Amino acid sequence: MALLVARNLTKHFDGLTANSNIDLEVPEGSLFAIIGPNGAGKTTLFNMLSGFLRPTAGVIEFAGVEITAMRQHKIAEMGLIRTFQLVQIFQGMSVAENVEVGFHLRTRGGITSALLRPRWLRRQEAEIRAKARELLDFVGLGQQAEMNAELLPYGQQRLLEVARAMAAEPRLLLLDEPAAGLNTHETDALAKIIQQINARGVTVLLIEHDVGLVTRIAHRIAVLDFGCKIAEGTPEEIKQHPDVIAAYLGTEAAHA
Amino acid sequence: MPSSVELIQSLVNGVGIGLVYGLIAIGFCVIYNASGIVNFAQGVFVMLGGMFAYSFLVQIKLPLAVAAAISIALVAAIGVLVQILVIRPMWQRKAPMFAIILATLAVQLLIEQIIILTFGDQPRTYPEFTGGGPLKIGDIAIDYQLFWILSCGALMVGLLTLFFNKTRIGRALRACSQNREAAALLGIPVGGMLMLSFALSAALGAVAGILITPTQYTSYSVGGPFGVNGFIAAIIGGFGSAPAALAGGILLGVVQSAAIVLFGAGYKNVIALTVLLIVLLFFPRGLFGGLAKRA
Amino acid sequence: MTLRVSISTRLGSYGTFAAISAVGIALLFALVFIQGGYLLTVMQLAMIYGVFCVGLNFFMGYTGQASFGQNAFAAIGGYGTAILCVQFGWEPVAALVASMAIASVASLVVGYPTLRLRGHYLAMATFALGLITYDLSVQWTSLTQGYMGYAGIPPLGIGRFVVEDERLKLVCLMAILLFSLWLSGRLRNSRFGRALRAISTSEAGAAALGIRISQYKLAAFVIAAVYASAAGSLFAHTVGFISPEVFGLQMVVVTFTMLYVGGVGTVLGPAIGAIIASLLPEIVRGAGRFQDIAYALALLVLLIYLPKGLSTLADLGKRRPAEQGGGN
Repeated sequence: MALLVARNLTKHFDGLTANSNIDLEVPEGSLFAIIGPNGAGKTTLFNMLSGFLRPTAGVIEFAGVEITAMRQHKIAEMGLIRTFQLVQIFQGMSVAENVEVGFHLRTRGGITSALLRPRWLRRQEAEIRAKARELLDFVGLGQQAEMNAELLPYGQQRLLEVARAMAAEPRLLLLDEPAAGLNTHETDALAKIIQQINARGVTVLLIEHDVGLVTRIAHRIAVLDFGCKIAEGTPEEIKQHPDVIAAYLGTEAAHA
Repeated sequence: MPSSVELIQSLVNGVGIGLVYGLIAIGFCVIYNASGIVNFAQGVFVMLGGMFAYSFLVQIKLPLAVAAAISIALVAAIGVLVQILVIRPMWQRKAPMFAIILATLAVQLLIEQIIILTFGDQPRTYPEFTGGGPLKIGDIAIDYQLFWILSCGALMVGLLTLFFNKTRIGRALRACSQNREAAALLGIPVGGMLMLSFALSAALGAVAGILITPTQYTSYSVGGPFGVNGFIAAIIGGFGSAPAALAGGILLGVVQSAAIVLFGAGYKNVIALTVLLIVLLFFPRGLFGGLAKRA
Repeated sequence: MTLRVSISTRLGSYGTFAAISAVGIALLFALVFIQGGYLLTVMQLAMIYGVFCVGLNFFMGYTGQASFGQNAFAAIGGYGTAILCVQFGWEPVAALVASMAIASVASLVVGYPTLRLRGHYLAMATFALGLITYDLSVQWTSLTQGYMGYAGIPPLGIGRFVVEDERLKLVCLMAILLFSLWLSGRLRNSRFGRALRAISTSEAGAAALGIRISQYKLAAFVIAAVYASAAGSLFAHTVGFISPEVFGLQMVVVTFTMLYVGGVGTVLGPAIGAIIASLLPEIVRGAGRFQDIAYALALLVLLIYLPKGLSTLADLGKRRPAEQGGGN
């Protein structure tokens, strides 16, 4: 069963075509990756899937429901949670508080309860603190829980964003270039974390620049170039696909 | 119910004041596009233009053209001074937006207080540029000053369009508004451009002030309302091109003077806000936002 | 160690600055109580402005949105109280609460379209709102009595118990300010407050986690308006007189200065800033007719050299890594 389906997805920016007629089916439970050179339209695609951009044409369905014109928070409510290529850490909040915000959809309580602090609310707060701690331990930030989040090094901010997204208990986790700016050691740790998240039953869709990381962990890969999907298949198939080698791996190899 | 003559009369007056709002709006856009800063003290330049022109014309009795030229130059210099002394150091320290806005408000307060000390708090005005009016068309009276406002307004917009499209400096300024980092990489002195934008925008405000003062008056406190109305015009115009800002100003001016006829003069700013809220409700990016972006 | 750090981030990274200020303020209050007289009035007003700033801090500090028009809601509070008490003989407390209700409805109606704007647009739209309210309070003479304003507004009290002694007034206002601070602190560290603070640094990040941005912004705006209205009413009851000038542009600049001086987004900042900034004009009072100029200059110098507020003085010792790109 496909959890996320995109049909004929197209986006024009002032006459420039960023995405054209992209079809995508992300099976439930899979670890799916989208790769492509810079400017291939990966982030545009991601922004459309998560409701941050309205497509010019095409349809997006999530869990059988059309989400094409839905607002971001509605899409998040349905269980599609994303991270950002440029990390969107909540500054001025502690690392733990950042993750606590992630529980927004899984908790309740407004102004009145915040003032009165009834017993259920205190229990809920204690629960999310404990769960936040678990998630931070999971991504390896347990030690930094009470630190001001903006003081974390860049690589750890990325991990924090992943932990925060996990707090929202996603059905589908969209990771936008999670390895950008990470060193090889950090990338390895991240690869393990992504695999563990997937093993917990969360479908993962990631955009990546790092081909090595993707071919190592993804079940299935789609390749974008100049806004079009030029190939899709297993990592083995993709590695041997002539168009891909020409468009992407070839240039990469040439630069290496 | 006001007669149709009254309504047409108010329409004519509205176009005049609207053009002035449009000039102020262009001033907002020039600084905003070059720096991302909204100068809340924009209206003060209008007040200063009127004040200086008054003192050169009435007190020192210089000829109109000379008085106007000196006033514009002085106000432009004050604009540059504000940029060098206040905006630039804050900009370099990466001050948050609200701190810069607060600083421009403090500048407004400061200049207003200095004006009270030097010029007093009495309203001032001077005669229209051409005596003998108004021109009568049926029952409708058109002040000759309106023609001055119209022609000077058109002239300013024309000159600005030429400046931005045909001159090296104008094009450099436009490059800054599109992408500051790229402009810096191309060797455009971004700091100098910022200074230029303040000078230009202050000069525009001064022109507006010199033109409008004969039809009403100037006093230390007129800056605030002029600034707000100019900004509303800029929002309606979509913060894009000069013609769009001008169109926004005229629309606002016409609605406002129609409102004065219908509800009384005291409520003109109340009406302006209502227009603003309605425009924002339906067009969050301004009426001409979409068009202006490409222009 | 971790406990200390934790408390300071949850209170809004304050620490030593707050401690020093607290001691200073305690000494100040002792002095004011012994001395009495004019300083009592200054401190009373500081408490009232403090309440206003606590509200403003919800919208500007926690939620990161600029509003330059909260004086509009203070005017609603002040005039609501004055009209209900003077013309209709209401009990002060009832008038205060009723005005707060009116302000909350007004802020909902105005906020809904206005909060679609961001950044400078929002700042200027709200600024216009304040000017419009000022115009209304001057022009709508049948309701507001124009420039004359309202005099003879009764002091706060419940039934027979009326707070008329100036020292007692100050104590009551102080209690009200402390209560507002307590509310602010509770809300800040809740699901609601965390959502607001998330919005302040990254709307995209907050939306991606399912936070309904516009709803939360509107809630913060309404809270700020209710606080402002309360402050306006308190002013009317404490001074006994209001006029349009009380709620003019001056109020915007003054309250902004206070919030900025005390530290935007911290729990205690608004109160500390209100007290410091209320004393500032007293220091430059000797300047006579140059007082406003001195005030504006002092503010400019502060803004230029400490663009992130006085509370950053406390951080000067610490080295911070260079900021990462990514926030908006």
